Amino acid sequence: MRISTATFQNNAVGQMDALEAALQQTQLQLSTGLKIQSAADDPAGMAQVNQMNVQISATTQFVTNSNTAQTNLQLEEQALTNASNIMQNANTLAVEANNSALSAANKKDIATQLQQDLQSLVSIANSTDGNGNYLFGGFANTSAPFTQAGGTVSYNGTNQVTQVQISTNQSISTGDNGNVAFMNIPNGNGTFTTSAASTNTGTASIGGGSVTTPSAWVPDTYTLSFTDPSDYQVTDSGGNVVGSGTYTNGDTISFNGAQVALSGTPAAGDQFTIAPSTTTSAFSALSNLISTLNSSATINSGQLTTLVNTAVQQIQNSITNFSNVSASVGARLNAITAAQSTATATQTTLKTNVGTIQSTDYTAATTQLSSEELALQAAQESYASLEKLSLFNYIQG
Amino acid sequence: MGDILSTSVSGLLAFQQALDVTSNNISNSATPGYSVEGIKLAEQPGSGTGGGYFGNGVNVQSVTRSYDEMLAAQVRSSQSSYSSFNTLSTQAAQIDNMLSSSSTGLTVTLQSFVNSLQSLSTAPASTAQRQVVLSQAQALVTQLKSYQSQLTTQSQNLESQVGNTVTQVNTIAQNIASLNGQIAAASGGGQTPNQLMDQRDSLVDQLSQYVNVNAITQSDGQMDIYVGSGQPLVVSGTAQTLVASPDPNDASESDIGIAAGNGNVSDITKEINGGTLGGLLTTRSQVLDPTENALGQIAIGIASVMNQQQASGMDLTGAQGQAMFAVGPPQVLPSTTNTGTGTVSATITDATQVTTDNYKLTYSGTTWDLQDTSTGQQVTMSGTGTGTDPFVGAGVSIVVNGAPDAGDNYVIKPTAGAVDGMSVTLSSPAQIAAASLGASAAASGNTGTATISAPSITDPTNWTNGSYTISFTDPTDYQVTDGGGNVVTSGTYTAGSPISFNGEQVSISGTPASGDTFTVGPNNKANTGDNTNVLAMAADVTASVLNGGTTSLNGAANNLVSAMGVLTQQAQANATAQQSVNQSATNARSNLSGVNLDDEAAKMLQYQQAYQACAQMIQSSQTLFNSLISAISNG
Repeated sequence: MRISTATFQNNAVGQMDALEAALQQTQLQLSTGLKIQSAADDPAGMAQVNQMNVQISATTQFVTNSNTAQTNLQLEEQALTNASNIMQNANTLAVEANNSALSAANKKDIATQLQQDLQSLVSIANSTDGNGNYLFGGFANTSAPFTQAGGTVSYNGTNQVTQVQISTNQSISTGDNGNVAFMNIPNGNGTFTTSAASTNTGTASIGGGSVTTPSAWVPDTYTLSFTDPSDYQVTDSGGNVVGSGTYTNGDTISFNGAQVALSGTPAAGDQFTIAPSTTTSAFSALSNLISTLNSSATINSGQLTTLVNTAVQQIQNSITNFSNVSASVGARLNAITAAQSTATATQTTLKTNVGTIQSTDYTAATTQLSSEELALQAAQESYASLEKLSLFNYIQG
Repeated sequence: MGDILSTSVSGLLAFQQALDVTSNNISNSATPGYSVEGIKLAEQPGSGTGGGYFGNGVNVQSVTRSYDEMLAAQVRSSQSSYSSFNTLSTQAAQIDNMLSSSSTGLTVTLQSFVNSLQSLSTAPASTAQRQVVLSQAQALVTQLKSYQSQLTTQSQNLESQVGNTVTQVNTIAQNIASLNGQIAAASGGGQTPNQLMDQRDSLVDQLSQYVNVNAITQSDGQMDIYVGSGQPLVVSGTAQTLVASPDPNDASESDIGIAAGNGNVSDITKEINGGTLGGLLTTRSQVLDPTENALGQIAIGIASVMNQQQASGMDLTGAQGQAMFAVGPPQVLPSTTNTGTGTVSATITDATQVTTDNYKLTYSGTTWDLQDTSTGQQVTMSGTGTGTDPFVGAGVSIVVNGAPDAGDNYVIKPTAGAVDGMSVTLSSPAQIAAASLGASAAASGNTGTATISAPSITDPTNWTNGSYTISFTDPTDYQVTDGGGNVVTSGTYTAGSPISFNGEQVSISGTPASGDTFTVGPNNKANTGDNTNVLAMAADVTASVLNGGTTSLNGAANNLVSAMGVLTQQAQANATAQQSVNQSATNARSNLSGVNLDDEAAKMLQYQQAYQACAQMIQSSQTLFNSLISAISNG
């Protein structure tokens, strides 16, 4: 076949150009460490890399979010522990006060100590995070959520609390509102409360009681009245007698699946009330006890004991509530830890995948570089030697 | 002896001319477009004698060139294809590189914006975090606008390249026409003007780099050139002109027309293929316009989602959130050929339905028709086109006014101008509406365990800023009453399922007791920890809000990157393939028409030897003559 001289030259040069371009491309892969320089190099790979980079970025943000939530929840956990400790102290004081041998003055002293506890509790309930936001205010976190007027502490925050996203489909509350933590604590035994009438004259006091047969319990306000010190009857709110019997000191009286223990000797006409539980606050548990102890001299002994018993029960309910809220906080902290370790694992996987798609395989690229170098060298050498061949070289003048 | 002399002289002359041709071939061995020439020798008529016919030497008949019409056509068509794909791949690679950066791409910027919203949700009152959201919003706008400005620059360059290419084509066509005339005149003597033909072939080769042409040689040696789908560019000695003129609907884009002798210009934009011109037009329709529209669609999506959610929220000052982004409105481009006085305006009404296509609205005389110019399909519109009842189609509402004439048309580009008009419209960090517009609370005396969520404003336009009470007449039935005690809605309670009224929605979960009540009313700016609306923003921005709810913003950005990647990759592959086709066609032609120096060396030796032999014959004839003279003088 006849090949024109120009074609031979052009083709040889073209080949070398192509090899040089390939070498340059391989060199770029090696120097940038990237196999994909632009989407055109691998459109599907680039799309995957973009998608995974977005996921990595989002996951990093979720970890940042969960760190914030973690800090807040840890602060809340600490506040709840402190609140619990205060209530433990109040509990000890209340038990101490429940001693008929103590004088009214001694009781006033205890009330003074309890007043300190109340102030501390309010201050804990109004504690703030590092940014000055109130922990227990719900959405209203820039002003103190609890205000005190005399013995009454009221909550001004909201019921909703700030939630943050800690993973694609998981949001958690970064705190608990004041109602949940301090205000809406069930009173009595959770089913009913007991109280003594202020007009009682006997020494009998009533305990917190319990429900023994839940199926038989009918929620209602019951009156336990003594017609004489040894005979009682229980009437419901409609005036129907639901139980009656004889009483001796220390007896437990049962009716409608519930039982209440009394101690001391009632006087004829003494009355006790058993009413369905509602909620009350940790603050009022303390402030009620304080006002009871402050005016102990004027209160009938049976009623005094009942009031202190009720306060002790309420203090313990508060401790239980703090512990329940703490448990929920703990569960959220666990969820955060779990989400963070999942996030770390996800990120590792994603980063590995991004690397696999996007990063240069140095072994392969180096091998390719050597083979391209070899090819270019061969092309150059063969061109140089073929180029010398010309018939004109042999025509001697 | 006289015969010997004259025969030898004819040989001397012929071989001298043959050496001339060889020398010309060697001289032009590197000249592009040169076709190797050969000499055609023929024996001169003989002289008849009784002893037979004696030859009278050699005669040069013609100088021919090695040329094959089909090989040349193959070179040209592959050259056109290569030029076209090469132009497309070069242009597309610019867009590909612009969009591809994995560290600064649009998907990264969008995600950074989402992250800033997430960060704000952890500290909704923080001015610093709010500032970050505004900065990220600005970064998003800046990035989209920098893409847009690169697109605009590239588009302007492209249009000027189209103009230059058309000028080049016209110059070449003119030269070919004039060569046609010269060739016709020079061929009169029966000889082919090889040099003029080579020159013309070179011009046609050049022309095919700019646009795909079809060349047909007439019997008189003149060459006719056709472009597009058979529109004559050069006929014999006359060249028509290509005209690049502004599109009637869009002055920023040129159409290609061909001017006939009578001055009428017919539009052949769609017929142009191959060459730089074809590549440029493809770039415009497949790379620049779609990219601009896709970026516009993303801009409209972001603005729509964020503005709607802003309107559902309360900012730090206690006011209803204002729009966060502004975007350019749909472009309405009336045709310069319109004769009526009609005016058309268009607005985006449903960002989820907005496509990346352009549309043409045409008045038939009685009805208006909307056609998707990308797919060619008719779009069904609702409404009557009036201000109160606009046409609505493809997420765009269109109002027509004035008195249009039949045939008047308007190109509507819903997305093209969006990025150009885009800006962040919030000026202060406090204006980010992180909180919900509404607030809710459970009444303090409730005995059930039910809790109420913060209200979300689903329809800001129907939201009334009123106070409502949701009360449970029994644990399974609720009713919602307004401040005046009127029942707004009521229903059967299902834990967790939303209760909606007057543009807002709450959900109650747990077990309510009979008589429990909840209040829903305007939010209070003291609720600075309320992050419900900013969480909703973060969720919306990552949700599938485009293309009828099938594509997320990030997905659309990523789709654009990979679509342009695929297009560039294909253009590059096609360019490489066409380059190699062109290479082998060029080789095939060159193997026939190119100069081989070894060939020429051999011919040189052959002609040189023959020339020397002829000279020897003259010497020999002199010797013979001398012998005769001396014989006579000696006698």
